[in-house]
Amino acid sequence: MTGRLFKRGRISRFVNTLLLVIICALTLLPIILTFLYSFFPMSEMKAFLSTRNNYDQNRFMDVLLAPSMVSLRQYYDLLIDKPLYLQLFMNSVVYTLLILAGEIFFIPTLAYALSCFRFRGRNALFFMVLMLMLLPFQVTMAPSVLTMRTLGLMNTPWAVILPLMFAPFYIFLMRQFMVGIPTDMIEAGLMDGAGTIRTFFHVVLPLSKPILGAAVALSFADAWNLVEQPLIYLANSPNQMPLSVMFNTLSSSEQGVVFASAALYIMPALLIYSYFQEDILLGIQLSDMK
Amino acid sequence: MFVKKKSLWLFLLPGLAGLMVFHLVPFIGGIYFSLTDGTINNNLVWFENYKRLWANQAFQQGLKNSLELSLMSTPIIFLFSFILAVMLKSLRERSLPYRNILLMPYLVPSSALLIIWMVIFDYGGIVNRLLVGLGLERVMWLESGALRVPIILLYVWKNVGFSVVIFSAALQSVPDEYYEFAMLEGAGPIRQARSITLPLILPTAFLVFVLAWVNAFKIFKEVYFIGGAYPRDEVYTLQHFMNNRFSKLEYQDVTAAAYSFALIVLVFFALLYLSRGVRGDDR
Repeated sequence: MTGRLFKRGRISRFVNTLLLVIICALTLLPIILTFLYSFFPMSEMKAFLSTRNNYDQNRFMDVLLAPSMVSLRQYYDLLIDKPLYLQLFMNSVVYTLLILAGEIFFIPTLAYALSCFRFRGRNALFFMVLMLMLLPFQVTMAPSVLTMRTLGLMNTPWAVILPLMFAPFYIFLMRQFMVGIPTDMIEAGLMDGAGTIRTFFHVVLPLSKPILGAAVALSFADAWNLVEQPLIYLANSPNQMPLSVMFNTLSSSEQGVVFASAALYIMPALLIYSYFQEDILLGIQLSDMK
Repeated sequence: MFVKKKSLWLFLLPGLAGLMVFHLVPFIGGIYFSLTDGTINNNLVWFENYKRLWANQAFQQGLKNSLELSLMSTPIIFLFSFILAVMLKSLRERSLPYRNILLMPYLVPSSALLIIWMVIFDYGGIVNRLLVGLGLERVMWLESGALRVPIILLYVWKNVGFSVVIFSAALQSVPDEYYEFAMLEGAGPIRQARSITLPLILPTAFLVFVLAWVNAFKIFKEVYFIGGAYPRDEVYTLQHFMNNRFSKLEYQDVTAAAYSFALIVLVFFALLYLSRGVRGDDR
């Protein structure tokens, strides 16, 4: 009996692993292909992409797996010959850095107030954060436009940046982590005569390292992939657009370098991810997610 | 817990001020705006804007598509991420690399992935090659109403990892002894999932579902990249409607659409919340 159970367990574990390997391979495939194709010569890529939209029943596109020769020409063309791409790329960098800088200042402090202090209206305030977090962008967009007009920020990058500095989801995430910090640790600080400010910097922040990392990585993803906000707030200033909005307009006219531009665009996200991936898993693991 | 500390304001105010100015005040102030006629006098017209809007076909189309697309992709993400999380749990420590890979697309910008997606789903692309290999007909993925499939797949591909991570975290907190005991009692894997796993992670499952649903309205991004500002009818979302109205400076329509949509979302959440409460009592 135990023998059979053991054997069945081994087979199901094998099937389980096999399925996961297949799913992960499929997950990676689009990213790998993008990088692979970025090393093809421009002419080969152009020819390949021009076989798209062919409705002949007997013909397929080739499945390209190896370039006729490995070439960095796409990257050269993109970085040296086409200043527009780099300019938009830098726009995206600036947006992302400003948003992250604002979040790092505003969100942990507010989360600290919402988790480690007791005051009247705290629950109401937290409920408000929850509600705001659950409103889709379509709902908040129109009222925000009115505010931005009143403040004179329409068609300036600040209309995109400022609201995202206070993103309710990350306030929620960080607050859920901080309520899980044992009260003893905070009160021990109080006994030693440390004030709320010292407790924040010497106890709470160091302990919150995983969730800070998670929030940085996840909001990097948001900021790097901005589409809805710039489309609305920057409708009349195309040269302030981030790369995310312009990417497809740009790439449809530059078929030869499209995979290199995609690969370059993905790269920072992957670097950030590989640096923070443990924090994301650990941070969410330790937060109260219900 | 700190009580009656003046320094509270130091931590609370900066964030709270921003939250008020950029999120709460606009939301509340906009309600009044949606009830006026938008001239300089701002005359109150009450629900005139809403009446006009709800009679508008483009609005109906956008709303219907937004709801449909999100209600198709949310269950897929929800179920798929739950199954993946259960599969990962049985691997224990060795599940880390798999989880890392599954979350990776979440950080990849969808516009950068679009071109490879178009190649894969082209009429002569890999997906149709597979279909023909299986003896099926080719599908015009990008040129017909079937466009919804690649769009939803792109969205699921990108977002499923995040739900897997939240589910995995919740599953990790279920003690192993429960399952060992269930095994001894002869409960199969499905019975175990139903009687142990689900009830224990129900609150988390609720959060995953709600977040997946709210985020599913962002599916506009993927549609916009493929179809531009005026895509095919099947994928014309509410966001398209609002953007296009907005560029024609019809702010009243846009705000009225926003609050109509908010109302629908809130009613849905309330129903979801109530159904959770009812099921919780049954246990």
